[in-house]
Amino acid sequence: MISDYGWRSRRLIRALAGARLLGLLLLTCAGPVRAQQVNPFEGDAAAVTAGAALFAGRCADCHGGDAKGSRGPDLTQRWAAGATDESTFATIRSGVPGSIMPPSAAPDHELWAIVAYLRSISVAPKLVSSGNPARGRELFVAQCLQCHRVGAEGGALGPDLTQIGLTRSREALVTALRDPGASVPAGFRGVELERRGERIEGVVKAEDAFSIQVLTTDGRLLGFDKSALTRITPRAGSLMPVYSPDKLNDSALEDLLAYLGTLRDPVGAK
Amino acid sequence: MRRGTLLAIVSVSVAALSPAPGRAQGSVPAASRGVTAADIRAGLADPTRWVTFSGDYTGQRHSPLTQITPRNVGSLVSQWTFQTGSYARGRGFETTPLAVDGVLYVTGSNNYAWAIDARTGRPFWEYRRNLPNNLTYGALAPVNRGFAILGDRLYMVTLDAHLLALDRRTGGVVWDVQLANYREGYAATLAPLIVDDQVIVGIGGGEYATRGFLDSYDAATGARRWRLYTVPGPGEPGSETWPNTKAAERGGGGTWMTGSYDPKLGLLYWGTGNPNPDIYSANRVGDNLYTASLLAVDAKTGTIRWHYQFTPHDTHDWDANHVPVLAEVTIGGKPRRVVMVANRNSFFYVLDRVTGELLIGKPFTSTTWARELDAKGRPIVLNADGSQGCLPDQWGGTNFNPPAYNPKLHLFFVSARETCARYLPQEPQYVPGEITPGGVTWIDRDKQYGALRALDARTGDLKWEFRFPQANLAGVMSTASGLVFSGDQEGNFIAFDAASGRQLWHYQTGASIWGAAPMTYMLDGRQQVLIASGAALISFALPAR
Repeated sequence: MISDYGWRSRRLIRALAGARLLGLLLLTCAGPVRAQQVNPFEGDAAAVTAGAALFAGRCADCHGGDAKGSRGPDLTQRWAAGATDESTFATIRSGVPGSIMPPSAAPDHELWAIVAYLRSISVAPKLVSSGNPARGRELFVAQCLQCHRVGAEGGALGPDLTQIGLTRSREALVTALRDPGASVPAGFRGVELERRGERIEGVVKAEDAFSIQVLTTDGRLLGFDKSALTRITPRAGSLMPVYSPDKLNDSALEDLLAYLGTLRDPVGAK
Repeated sequence: MRRGTLLAIVSVSVAALSPAPGRAQGSVPAASRGVTAADIRAGLADPTRWVTFSGDYTGQRHSPLTQITPRNVGSLVSQWTFQTGSYARGRGFETTPLAVDGVLYVTGSNNYAWAIDARTGRPFWEYRRNLPNNLTYGALAPVNRGFAILGDRLYMVTLDAHLLALDRRTGGVVWDVQLANYREGYAATLAPLIVDDQVIVGIGGGEYATRGFLDSYDAATGARRWRLYTVPGPGEPGSETWPNTKAAERGGGGTWMTGSYDPKLGLLYWGTGNPNPDIYSANRVGDNLYTASLLAVDAKTGTIRWHYQFTPHDTHDWDANHVPVLAEVTIGGKPRRVVMVANRNSFFYVLDRVTGELLIGKPFTSTTWARELDAKGRPIVLNADGSQGCLPDQWGGTNFNPPAYNPKLHLFFVSARETCARYLPQEPQYVPGEITPGGVTWIDRDKQYGALRALDARTGDLKWEFRFPQANLAGVMSTASGLVFSGDQEGNFIAFDAASGRQLWHYQTGASIWGAAPMTYMLDGRQQVLIASGAALISFALPAR
């Protein structure tokens, strides 16, 4: 079954190479000879599938099967950080000098297929909601801003949401609101510490066998020698409240999603 | 006889090349008498030296030094830090320095190397190999694990799969031989092993369609003495474990970690790497000998005396590229000459090193792959394909990072990795010079942690452990005063009480201790302990009185 997947992927790549050849030639002939700026496979589901297979074979060893990083960096944050299809193509082609990222001599269409795949898992489609983004913004300011930052305003206890509409799908956002404990990213896991009778609550920013670094719920960055603590209790789930329908009804949820969907600016794009 | 002649030649050349007394700038002081094959055989007998990768041929990485003890290790302080400026992103600074007469000989990432003044951390010379920009495996793992030394020559392998002899005093290249064509996927990263007048080296690149081998070179001339392919040729014993010659010729089986040696038996003990493709295996049906195995090799001829395959038909990238540890252990009331390996497949093995007979084989981490071995020493595999997850991941229950052994306590110390991953095979396309892992793994990062574990060599049972938040690849060193030194992924360099596992001292180095193991030696009456971390080499000692 799985090997069949690999076989189909290769056939797809060959088919794509043929079908797109004319388009590629036209583009290449149209202007001065230079690197292509537009991914010829943008949004092409077959190319995304083929790119996923190529990624698994050549890139996943360093970047992880989910592209979220292993020895090499997390690639799912590239577009949010301001990278483009073209710059991603160029990085794969040239490698990163002084790092373990090698250059690639693979044909253009294979590289574009990998770019199409990476983009498909990095950039969320534009969020569709029947809600009112202005009302959603009001809700956000009242309920969320204390812990989450958007642009220059907001708190620090939860993840920065400045580009959340770019990186998270509608489904992922609904889950994050209705069931925040389902997945808590590293750096935002709650912990309760006790030092000489004093209770300290916060999120773990770093930890090793001997020390722990936290951001406290009241905004202090504190580091502790573990031997000085009488108790270290990781909190189950998330520090974020569960926004169940009785707290946030479906109409309010739609408003909030509509607002979050507008938060799509890559860093430095403005 | 031949060795005697060689030594005579070496001593003549030392006299001829020695510079004027005093310290010439850019070169190592001439007072050093060089290192002989007998010195290497004597191992750690001279407390002022560390002359081979593991300290001696046993691979125990157990120093007889006793100045630093469980009682005083708490006051250990750093003496100096040498910043190499050469960083291997995504990897570690994996070297073990050699110490000879006040000079440290150190290889670094990206094929830099240095001779360093052991008293100050200041360099005498720097060597940098001019590497091609189309490296294959060498680009993925631009690391090096150390020099070998003999006479006035240092031996070092390169990321473009060469073996070099450098002049110890200047870092100048004396000779340079190609081991393999790097364009096909080969690279070399290990510290060579000197046996008499031979330089023994292995090769890496098992993530590519390559064929592993172990080589012997004449230390004086660089002429190859023998080559042992770890994957047999057509008609040779073991070839029946491959479906066809094509699969065997690209079947992997790298030899990229320094082996051990028993001079009395004249046998090298060397681990072999994964079969290629790493994960996909439908095109290499069979046990795939001699991949993921331990080989006992006649050092004179390069022929296999016996072999033991840890992971028949591996599909998880579980190389057996470990430092095999040689010791005398009483098992079941009988004294045995053993070789011990804590393998990437999560089993701890004790074998009779004369015959290859399996004496102990037990998991030392949790695993869903296999829980026991059958009467013939073959794993009873419960979950072969890995698609359900929670075997050890592709980095294994441990990895190449050297373990250590305290013979008095009968304890084997190893950095254990508790991990969980799913393996999804995919048939590779064979493009020359392109990587062919044959699939992908999904690691569940929330389910992993690390531990330094002490295993009883007589039983394989766990004596103690010290846990870390993350799985790590830190090497280990033991000392006769009852200390164990190791490190962690978070950058701590740590001393433990060998008998109890109690943590006694730690120092935050600022980068993961990754692949490197500590070494120790006496300098001006003070015991030094060194560790490589990030791109830095750090020396520690007790405060001067």
